[in-house]
Amino acid sequence: MLKLLLPGLLCTVAEKVLNPVIGMDPDAHTRLNRLQGKQFAVRLRGIPLRLVFTAQQNGIWLNSHDEPVDCSISADLSALQQLSDPSQLTRLIREDKLQIDGDLQTLQQFSQFFQQLNPDWQERLSIYLGDAMAHKATNGIQLLQRSIRQYLQQSDHNLRELAQDELRLTPVAAEVQQFSQDVSAVAARTELLQRQLAGLLSQSRAFA
Amino acid sequence: MSEQQHSGTQDSTHFGFKTVARDEKVSMVANVFHSVAAKYDVMNDLMSLGIHRLWKRFTIDCSGVRPGQKVLDLAGGTGDLTALFSRRVGPTGQVILADINESMLNVGKDKLRDLGLVNNISYVQANAEALPFADNSFDIITIAFGLRNVTDKDAALRSMFRVLKPGGRLLVLEFSKPTEAWLSKVYDLYSFKLLPAMGQLVANDRESYQYLAESIRMHPDQDTLKQMMQQAGFAETSYHNLTGGIVALHRGYKF
Ligand SMILES: C[S@@+](CC[C@H](N)C(=O)[O-])C[C@H]1O[C@@H](n2cnc3c(N)ncnc32)[C@H](O)[C@@H]1O
Repeated sequence: MLKLLLPGLLCTVAEKVLNPVIGMDPDAHTRLNRLQGKQFAVRLRGIPLRLVFTAQQNGIWLNSHDEPVDCSISADLSALQQLSDPSQLTRLIREDKLQIDGDLQTLQQFSQFFQQLNPDWQERLSIYLGDAMAHKATNGIQLLQRSIRQYLQQSDHNLRELAQDELRLTPVAAEVQQFSQDVSAVAARTELLQRQLAGLLSQSRAFA
Repeated sequence: MSEQQHSGTQDSTHFGFKTVARDEKVSMVANVFHSVAAKYDVMNDLMSLGIHRLWKRFTIDCSGVRPGQKVLDLAGGTGDLTALFSRRVGPTGQVILADINESMLNVGKDKLRDLGLVNNISYVQANAEALPFADNSFDIITIAFGLRNVTDKDAALRSMFRVLKPGGRLLVLEFSKPTEAWLSKVYDLYSFKLLPAMGQLVANDRESYQYLAESIRMHPDQDTLKQMMQQAGFAETSYHNLTGGIVALHRGYKF
């Protein structure tokens, strides 16, 4: 009964988290000005939801709809994590992990904006906690951020290993090479066999 | 219920369950909203348990609003939709909050100013039946929980059609008919027993909330409203039932 309303709830919560964080980054507004008026949409494969980000001077506003926007991507979750590295884009597209429609520059600008987001936690926290406590808390937050990043990198690596070694879902490069060598060998052997068969056939005809 | 029953006769119309003279309804509705204006937002959150915010969010999603567009939030009252639109159309766009009732407009103005939303919003006191705007002015028109209070709904829909740009769209968010019988029963109990009591307790105003409940029942159901929109000229009309049809969002385009 609430299915149609859930995306709205998600967008509300996301806005309530994102915009205060943007507000804590003193340089964010200059960078937002450059993005102002641009719309960017993300669809995560396997999830029936398309999130539209609208950038304006006063923040980034979220919606969920299928209308045309400046740039729209549809991607796997793993591909989304690699978007920050522009050198990966071609590979992701070729591997069909990422589809981009519209203006590529908008995608890069949004991606850059989120990467460069650098909230000044200490400044905000000092209002509530006082300078000394805020400093300690900020160090804690930075430590947490580093651990989360490390954990994500580690778990991404572990997941890839698990998929390749344990579950054998995705081939590593060496396996792909081995596989194509095997295919060529089979092809060569089939050809040889064909030629031998043809020879045998003509011999049997000569005897008949 | 037929359309004729919804709109009353030539000289009379409905005010909740009462039949009143057409001229009288305007001032009676005005009294209701003068009286609820100050407590309107609190009561809205309380009565709908906050879900009205999600209904409004869904309306914004269905509007497909883009930066730079011109939007009319008709019967906009305290401006919830105006706030959502204003942030999205940005400085190159414009939102007009129009309402027949000065008290509601004033509460809206104060609230939006407190939210820091000033640059792209204008306020107009206007009757939905005769909109004071040029033809083909708006990309999007919304009317949320407003149409059922309007005396001549057909005239209002025609007026909205006139001021909408070709390619523009109208969104009507309004209470409607629950799709399940059990929900209908619970909802009746809620609106006729609990709602007026809550109105009395929080806003010291039982009658306005009694009117609210009655006006909801007298409002055209989903298919009737869709038909009325088509008659006014809207194309590709459709609706979504929200929260089991307690509310419906109708959409129509001008081509
Ligand atoms: C229930 S409130 C809805 C306010 C707001 N749209 C919201 O969703 O919170 C209904 C509004 O419709 C306005 N209204 C009633 N009749 C109207 C008319 N004929 N023209 C314009 N506004 C009208 C009332 O003044 C009131 O502010």
